[in-house]
Amino acid sequence: MLNPKRAWIRQLIALATFLALWEAAGRADLLNPLYMPMPSSIWDALVELFAGGRIWIHMEATFTAALAGLVIGIVVGIVLGVVAALIPVVAELLEPVMLLLNAVPRVILAPLFVIWLGIGLASKVALAFILVAVVIFFTVFTGIRQVDRRLVERIVTLGGGRSALLRHVYLPSVTAWVLGNLKVAVGFAFTGAVVGEFVAASRGLGYLLSFAQSTFNSALMMALVLLIMAVVLVIFGLASRLEKRLLRWN
Amino acid sequence: MSLVGPSGSGKSSLLRAIIGLQKTLSGSVETGCAKADIGILFQDDALLPWRTARENVALGLGFHGMERARALDEAEAWLARLGLSGLSDRYPGRLSGGQRKRVALAQVLALKPKLLLMDEPFASLDAIVRARISQELVELVERERISVLHVTHDLEEAITLSDTVHLLSQGPRARITQHYPVPIPRPRELVRARMHPAFAPLLERLWRDLSREVAHNPRAEAA
Repeated sequence: MLNPKRAWIRQLIALATFLALWEAAGRADLLNPLYMPMPSSIWDALVELFAGGRIWIHMEATFTAALAGLVIGIVVGIVLGVVAALIPVVAELLEPVMLLLNAVPRVILAPLFVIWLGIGLASKVALAFILVAVVIFFTVFTGIRQVDRRLVERIVTLGGGRSALLRHVYLPSVTAWVLGNLKVAVGFAFTGAVVGEFVAASRGLGYLLSFAQSTFNSALMMALVLLIMAVVLVIFGLASRLEKRLLRWN
Repeated sequence: MSLVGPSGSGKSSLLRAIIGLQKTLSGSVETGCAKADIGILFQDDALLPWRTARENVALGLGFHGMERARALDEAEAWLARLGLSGLSDRYPGRLSGGQRKRVALAQVLALKPKLLLMDEPFASLDAIVRARISQELVELVERERISVLHVTHDLEEAITLSDTVHLLSQGPRARITQHYPVPIPRPRELVRARMHPAFAPLLERLWRDLSREVAHNPRAEAA
């Protein structure tokens, strides 16, 4: 019988085996290092990134862009969502635009942002922002429309007015929906930042990635992919702790 | 008093119109007391899931201008009165159906209503919990001298809880067709009330008249 609590051990063994086979195949010259560098060379590349200390400036650039885009995107998404849910004419005008933005892969806007805002930080923030804001908008917009009627009636019959409804029903509901989508938003924010840097930048993890590509350095490329994954996983962890804390009633 | 009637006769709508959740097409509602003195218990217990039991009960008190600390104390006292002391810091998601119903009851009673509207509030509870909560409610209502308007499908419950049962005719254009005074004395013990000699004949009359009301109208079958 498989013990589900031991699953992580089996997963670890499988991963180690996979890496060992990969490494062995590389050392036996079965893999072309130009395309498929061995795990050890990827590790070396990763170590070298940190050893020189030059990685920090790139990490900082990506983090700044992603977090700025995330915060602005969440704020603007909530504001637009609330306004659209409460004022029908705004919903009428905004919904088709948002639907369109939601339907197309929004990263196609990246080159446009570079032309408008230059190759600096602003174009990356803008891309991260547009990715996040659309998701949050729909979360809040549909959320407010589907708010539990029974809760609303309850507050009204207990004597609560509009401000009570906002404070006790709408605000907590919106918080719950936004937090429920926080991880998606974090993922989008980093996608925006990295893709933006990939298109045109002078620093950032995405910039390093495009540099590695242009110099055909696949070990560096894979090291960067690993690094970005690790970074996003750390942020995911923080996001789910925040979610647990604020949604402890759940 | 209780109001019984076939499905679709507008029992719930009547309560909603009284409390002002539903606009009336024509006519008006006279209750003889201010809207703030009317409380309503719905079929479902719509407690705020993000507030504890105590905060939920304190909510209405706060709307009526009581300061927060006092409202929370008052809420605690009401929860204790309904047998929930020790559970007041739990969120509704961590309470059983019967406990949630008690919290909803405390929430309404804490506002000291003069008129309490009930829309089959105990329908979703199991028989034992239902009997106990009903008994406690009857005692509270008798002591605090609250008027109750209770709409229900359950004829036995209508008789044991009320002084008068009114029969609403099949809708649309439903109206009250019959009144049945209940001669069982107060204070009542609900289980005993069923054994009162007046209970069985009254139940039979009610049942017969309600069946006739439904048979009257072929639309009732669909309801």
